[in-house]
Amino acid sequence: MIKQYPGYEQYEVANIEDYGYKEHRLTKKIFKVFRAIVIIFAVFLMYIPIFTIFLQSINSSTITSEFGQITFKWYANIFDKGSLLTAIRNTVFISIWATLISTVLGTLFAIGISTLERKAKRHIMLLNNIPLLNADIVSGIGLMLIFSSLIHIFPYFFGWRTMLLAHIFFTLPYVVLSVLPKLRELDPNLFEASLDLGVKPYPSLYKVIIPAIKAGIFSGMILAFTMSFDDFVISYYTTGNGFDNLSIWIYSSMGRKSLSPSVYAFSTLVTILFFILLIITNLLRGRKQHHENH
Amino acid sequence: MNKYFKKLAIPYFVWLYVLAIIPFVIMAILSFVNNEGLNFSKAIFTLDNFGYLTTSSTVIAFMNSLFYAVIATLTCIVIGYMVAYAIFRSHFKNKFLVMTILILPMWSNMLLRIEALKNIMEPHNIITDILSKLGIHVSLDIAGTPLAVIIGLISTYIPFMILSIYTALEKIDYSLEEAALDLGLTETKKFWKVIFPLSTKGIVSGSIMVFLPCMSGFAIPEILGQGNILLIGNVIDQHFRNMNYNLGSLLAVVILIIILGAIFLVSKFDKEGETLL
Repeated sequence: MIKQYPGYEQYEVANIEDYGYKEHRLTKKIFKVFRAIVIIFAVFLMYIPIFTIFLQSINSSTITSEFGQITFKWYANIFDKGSLLTAIRNTVFISIWATLISTVLGTLFAIGISTLERKAKRHIMLLNNIPLLNADIVSGIGLMLIFSSLIHIFPYFFGWRTMLLAHIFFTLPYVVLSVLPKLRELDPNLFEASLDLGVKPYPSLYKVIIPAIKAGIFSGMILAFTMSFDDFVISYYTTGNGFDNLSIWIYSSMGRKSLSPSVYAFSTLVTILFFILLIITNLLRGRKQHHENH
Repeated sequence: MNKYFKKLAIPYFVWLYVLAIIPFVIMAILSFVNNEGLNFSKAIFTLDNFGYLTTSSTVIAFMNSLFYAVIATLTCIVIGYMVAYAIFRSHFKNKFLVMTILILPMWSNMLLRIEALKNIMEPHNIITDILSKLGIHVSLDIAGTPLAVIIGLISTYIPFMILSIYTALEKIDYSLEEAALDLGLTETKKFWKVIFPLSTKGIVSGSIMVFLPCMSGFAIPEILGQGNILLIGNVIDQHFRNMNYNLGSLLAVVILIIILGAIFLVSKFDKEGETLL
């Protein structure tokens, strides 16, 4: 305490709290601990299935509830089971074609949409949101009903054709939504200039507009592939004639309680592959940015 | 640019009308008649299907769907916000990379992840087996309970919530935060008055992306609930599997109305219709 002037005892001494200071350090500390626990819990929740899949893939026992010893035989035997190989091949086939087709079409549609008037634009964007927001089961059933009513015209329609159409249907909105914002940022003079310089509209589309929006096209493509590769419900309703993708194969194997451990090995490999791709693209992008800065 | 490419949008209008609108018309018709499969030759107009909506099993399935979806969405908002905010505030050099690694599990097959979750929810599972070999005996028996379904829903759909909240946080202009601090707000007040209101858009779009699949999905309750828990998706699936298109369509139409409400909400929130990405 500082030596006070005489008679100071008769005055009240103000505390720091009287000036509106509130002691929050303890609450903040408690909150910090709580937040750390929540974050760890979230990471745990997201990663525990992946971790279990990994454990299962190196487990020598076929019984899912016990761990024999570490083995890599499931990795060596991924393609031994013919039906799994077919399912993987179908998945890759459908998702690559669906991604390519919907990237091309979605980009063209988005360019068309960007030139529409406000009202027509809102109309089509509302329609565009339907496949995106609709419940998978309702979309799947809806497509199945449409395809079934065409079955008299195309008798062998169900199978890869219907599944591919369905995948294009639900991946298109993602491409359109990723490309549109890039088109809005585009300078309209760019296109006019190319016309003035004697380029025809469609070549100009290819030479001027597409390069300017390629970042949007690329992110739409990645989204489309992700959605298509992992889809279950819509594929389940729109397939036929024994054409299974990986999800349908897993679902029916689960129903028969005969899920081969090879599929765990395949899934682990896919996760590792995605991880490596992610790191590589990030490194490349970092290098490119580094290059541009100097 | 306008006059040349306008016609590029026309095929998309046709495409969306054929594949997104006509199915709803077919479903609406199916819910008013009584027929076999898609054969309309013996179709009789009836309102009997609507009586089915009030039977106790349907009402319970609807209530279950809403209950599970609400719980999962709320939990996802709380957890997802904390995770997204922690990454947003972290000092990592490449936050986007951290973010993508965090949601990496999203890229492996959903059904397989749920199957793995189901396996470790059994009392005897691969992890307890390994632990018991190390001398630790633990046991967890929640397979087939509501808790298992909720954990499965959260584990599957939380990446969407984290991603959309993070995107919204990323768009906040840092000068706004500086201004708030200059004007004398404390860190907590700054969060509630500046950052949180600006990130609500991310919460809304994240909630829609979590709520709708939670409400209508059928694989997660089927696998993790082991048949004890019926959501509306399971009921619809059963009807279509039993070739009862009328009742299945009726329920699908009801779900659709709820979803159209959500679409309307989105278009109210964001006039350009681009909230979702």
